[in-house]
Amino acid sequence: MKVSTQETVRTVGIGAGAKELATEDMTLNIGPQHPSTHGVLRLRLTLDGERISRAEPIVGYMHRGAEKLFEVRDYRQLIVLANRHDWLSAFANELGVVLAVERMLGMEVPERAVWLRTLLAELNRVLNHLMFLGSYPLEVGAMTPIFYSFQEREQLQRVMEEISGGRIHYMFNRVGGLKEEPPAGWTDRARRAVGEVRGRMGRISDLIMGNEIFRARTRGVGVLSPEQIRQYGVSGPIARASGVDFDLRRDEPYLAYSELDVRVVTRTEGDCLARFECLLDQVHASLDLADACLDRLAELPPGPINQRLPKVLKVPEGHTYAWTENPLGINGYYLVSRGEKTPWRMKLRSASYNNVQVLTELLPGNLVADMIAILGSMFFVVGDIDK
Amino acid sequence: MTRRSVTRQYPEVQPDLPPRSRGVIALLEENCTVCMLCARECPDWCIYIDSHKETLPAEGGGRPRTRNVLDRFAIDFALCMYCGICVEVCPFDALFWSPEFEYAEYDIAELTHEKDRLREWMWTVPPPQAHDPAAETPKEVTVAERAAQRAGPAAGRGPGRNGGP
Repeated sequence: MKVSTQETVRTVGIGAGAKELATEDMTLNIGPQHPSTHGVLRLRLTLDGERISRAEPIVGYMHRGAEKLFEVRDYRQLIVLANRHDWLSAFANELGVVLAVERMLGMEVPERAVWLRTLLAELNRVLNHLMFLGSYPLEVGAMTPIFYSFQEREQLQRVMEEISGGRIHYMFNRVGGLKEEPPAGWTDRARRAVGEVRGRMGRISDLIMGNEIFRARTRGVGVLSPEQIRQYGVSGPIARASGVDFDLRRDEPYLAYSELDVRVVTRTEGDCLARFECLLDQVHASLDLADACLDRLAELPPGPINQRLPKVLKVPEGHTYAWTENPLGINGYYLVSRGEKTPWRMKLRSASYNNVQVLTELLPGNLVADMIAILGSMFFVVGDIDK
Repeated sequence: MTRRSVTRQYPEVQPDLPPRSRGVIALLEENCTVCMLCARECPDWCIYIDSHKETLPAEGGGRPRTRNVLDRFAIDFALCMYCGICVEVCPFDALFWSPEFEYAEYDIAELTHEKDRLREWMWTVPPPQAHDPAAETPKEVTVAERAAQRAGPAAGRGPGRNGGP
């Protein structure tokens, strides 16, 4: 769409004699507390009538100083804190921390723990995506899918709660493995949950994918080009919806992904619908991966689930960068240790932070009504932006 | 369309929570030795412990012994992040998770549970679930088995005993 960039000329007087109505750009703040923004992201829009001419995401209303707090937490306490920035992908957040620490220690993780971690990471991905598969249609006016997606979420959350004790903040990773063994019979219950969720996924896709209104509001709206993706460091399902075929699980495998056949879901359109489709298809891909992990877990010989750790865990001096494919995109931890029991510095690269920055380019030229559709399709968690 | 609703009518119908569910922390006061590990390991320092030393009179010619007596043990659940590190680090099995979750209050100060209240939660602690068949034998079991072996094969199998120390 063509954006009018010329300055609005002020014409004095409104009345019979005036040639045209005086128009002036209007600044509209979306948020920090607005029902259609989840959390406290603030957007400062400049409007020319109904059309957005400038957009600026203003971040930081939920800044909790996570990176500074990391510096005064030991390597077990770190996990509590690190799983909270993106509260929809707690398991994946924990994972990055322990992978970084294990790499610095040169620690080998027991095979069962590796496969179980992979399984839980995929279940966490499904949980995350189901949230957006429910909330995004809600934002563009479709009420029903959220009830379906929450039913599926509940079923998977039960499985996660049974093994870890938590529904959202799992706190189940430890340096060297996992906190505890899964309870007897858990793998069967997990397999059943995966199967049932897969069986019912059609309810959401049938309801939404053929819906004319939904398609009209999302197709061709908010198109991101692969160049923009690369310039802004956008990652995850949003990047793949624009044809940027990059997924760390396949391109730089961690955990057990190198032994799995990771199907990377991509689209080329780069619009809101493509982003939604990527999410939907990714759920199926992740459920398949979860099944593959369960198959492998059943074949593995008995063994430990974690390593015995020293009373005081100190990480040798050095630094490393561990990045993982989180549900919302690339999540990286740059860990610098000076041999203490706490990190000297731990930089957090969160997916949502980069993903929302592209709104500056994405929103101008669109109508205010489309802003909601675009904003919702960026699939961000404000805690992940503000850290 | 014709399927039954999956909604649980919560206040009338209680949710069935798994035993590992992190609802509230219970204190088995009798096991606590005031070692302070939990309070020190807590990431946001929400455990308050006060104690004093008590000297026990000498028994049968020995020297007098001192021991720690717990005066106050409180957890501020308004601060607690429910990470479970305190339960994990407790070397004397004095802290446990219970799935109970209905302890909302109108006053935030009421969320600080003192030791009596924490002790009451002990009655709600469920037994732990059995581990996955592929799991390694828990170290408590191996320790007990080894102790039983040391006690002699005959002692372990005697009719009046059930093995283990």
